[in-house]
Amino acid sequence: MRSDCNLAMHERGLASLNLVLQWIHSFPDVQKSAVMEAFDSASLAKTRRALRLLEELGPDQRGPVFEVEMLSTFNLEPLLPVLQLALNCLPSQARLRLAALDSIEAHIAHPATSGSHVVCNARIIIWRIEEALPEALYPFSHGFPQGLSARVDQLLERVERVVALHKRNSPGIPLFLSTMALPVNFANPVSAAQHPAGPFAAVARVNQKIYELAAPGDGIYVLDLASWAASRGSVYTDATVDFLARQPLTAKGQVGFALFIARCLRALVVPRRKVLALDLDNTLWGGVVGEDGVNGLKLGHEFPGNVHLRIQRELLELRHRGVLLVLLSKNNEADARQAFESLPDMLLKWDDFAARKINWNHKHENLREVARELGLGLDSFAFLDDSDYEREQMRQAIPEVLILNESSDALQTLRALWETDAFDAFFVTQEDRRRNEDYALRGARSTEARQDDLETFLKSLEMRATIEEIGLPNMERVVTMLGKTNQFNLTTRRHSRAQVQAMLELPGSIPLALRLRDKFGDQGIIALLLAVPSGDNGTLVVDSFLVSCRALGRGVEDALWAAMLRRANRQNVRRLEAEYIPTAKNAIVANLYDRFGLQRVEHNSGSTRYVSEQVSLADFPPWIAVKDDANKP
Amino acid sequence: MMPTSHSDRLLRLLVEFFDLPADTRPENISQQLLPSWDSLAMVQLITELEGRFLVNFDIEEIQRLRSYDEIRDALRRKGVSLGVQATSRV
Repeated sequence: MRSDCNLAMHERGLASLNLVLQWIHSFPDVQKSAVMEAFDSASLAKTRRALRLLEELGPDQRGPVFEVEMLSTFNLEPLLPVLQLALNCLPSQARLRLAALDSIEAHIAHPATSGSHVVCNARIIIWRIEEALPEALYPFSHGFPQGLSARVDQLLERVERVVALHKRNSPGIPLFLSTMALPVNFANPVSAAQHPAGPFAAVARVNQKIYELAAPGDGIYVLDLASWAASRGSVYTDATVDFLARQPLTAKGQVGFALFIARCLRALVVPRRKVLALDLDNTLWGGVVGEDGVNGLKLGHEFPGNVHLRIQRELLELRHRGVLLVLLSKNNEADARQAFESLPDMLLKWDDFAARKINWNHKHENLREVARELGLGLDSFAFLDDSDYEREQMRQAIPEVLILNESSDALQTLRALWETDAFDAFFVTQEDRRRNEDYALRGARSTEARQDDLETFLKSLEMRATIEEIGLPNMERVVTMLGKTNQFNLTTRRHSRAQVQAMLELPGSIPLALRLRDKFGDQGIIALLLAVPSGDNGTLVVDSFLVSCRALGRGVEDALWAAMLRRANRQNVRRLEAEYIPTAKNAIVANLYDRFGLQRVEHNSGSTRYVSEQVSLADFPPWIAVKDDANKP
Repeated sequence: MMPTSHSDRLLRLLVEFFDLPADTRPENISQQLLPSWDSLAMVQLITELEGRFLVNFDIEEIQRLRSYDEIRDALRRKGVSLGVQATSRV
């Protein structure tokens, strides 16, 4: 039982740990792993070790000095190291001061004697019902309902008095008032809920008062411990240490509590991200519009379309909170637009995006361009994309951009939106809410790719390609690809299994598949080339040439083309013919054969035909390790 | 007869917790001998032991947890496996 609890806690704790990883991404690896180990183990020794290692960093790595004063009705002293570590991760040079236990009013009222005259960046008041309103735990021993109500009234006055005192004595210092969690160790939860003046309603009244006192514009904030406790608190408490030292939290609980407090204070130290740049396919909807067509996309009230619908709800809410949405999609703009216009469940509209870059350029180039157009720094951007490749390229090309998600799964994307603190802000102004309208869309314009940067990135993907002959073992995938691929497809010929089989049997045919592995794993067969002999004068005709949409932009077509040329050369092919048949989807390859150096011999609206009167070998792209030892018998 | 791996883990935990030299002998780890083992350390130690070994101590035990030997005995009484396969956390 106990260990199940801990397992659940551990898993839920991971969300905060992901945030910590984002906070400390600029720390050196030694510090980073020490911090993660400390939080993961909840060990005091490891926490102290991480704190020592952080002390070794320079001020520029650690962030600004951040003085925090804590006042509490329970004993926070045992938590000081973990609180200190969590705040240091913001990152900041946190300095924590703890007022004497139960001295809230005295401390604020008499700063000179209590030492609180030192200026601080934030003051936190943490109180809990067990000390502030113990009568709520024993209502029938305290004249329920009138007696308890009177005590609640007194507590409400106390809360107001504390805030007034703070405003008078410490104007300008941000104050964080905690809400109060429901008591965990409490004997009568059933009847406690049955009366408007009962214990639970009493807690709700106190918290309501605290919410009403919040005035972020004046530096009065709410630290909603009640919400934290509601989702995580009960499994984090330990009655034994509470009795022993008036400290109610388990070791894991202390970590969760400290990270929660750090997250709440973080918005004082770190500005929120202003822009979310996101992908279309497999994010706003399930499926790839260029491949599956609008009718094949998944978006709606059934699984899994409902996951994408929920993603759209979250994005729309972000937009209304003043976060600019930007579309970065490798697609034909007409396809994307058609999906926006004809999918019945689309919540996001075309004009909800402050900028749209729908083209075949690199996303980081598009993002830089948007940043220039909007006049925002690259560190204002967060990025969401289902493709490992796109996220990795963005991570390497523009490290300032925060990558929000870390997998291709839509549910993980949704979780990333639920859990991220990238857009945390204490309040949303009218100006924020109008911001999206203020940014007009500018036309898409590509910039020149910086080829050397691109090669460095492509090399870092550690791509290994294997050239395979098409045959029985891979036939199913080949026929599926021929049937589905729309964008990088020169002729879009939907051959059946029997037709492919027939081509394989022609003497001198060159039917090739390319299987790709990279640092993210095995991508399977992602490119095909089918070439067949024609006549008896040594002519080879490229019948089909296609690359899966998930491998675009990596140069695999060059590798496959070079593999074909090797075989053609070995077979003494003397003339090469190829064709581009334009469709609504395949503009991306309109000039592919020009790039490969073939001569245009015929061009009309239905097709462009190419010829090469000699077969000269081409090198494999240097960033792909190609294994090509298959010899056709 | 009793495998020592778990006891060693306890020893390691205490050595790290009190920042002691790595070769500290178990008999030298007691509240009497360690000035840093004050009441605050006691609370932090109990939280740490409970979290690490997934146990709860009862009142009587807590009052006796004053040395390596006493902690080791209490953990054994809790049925914390002292076998080689013992896992400290999930």
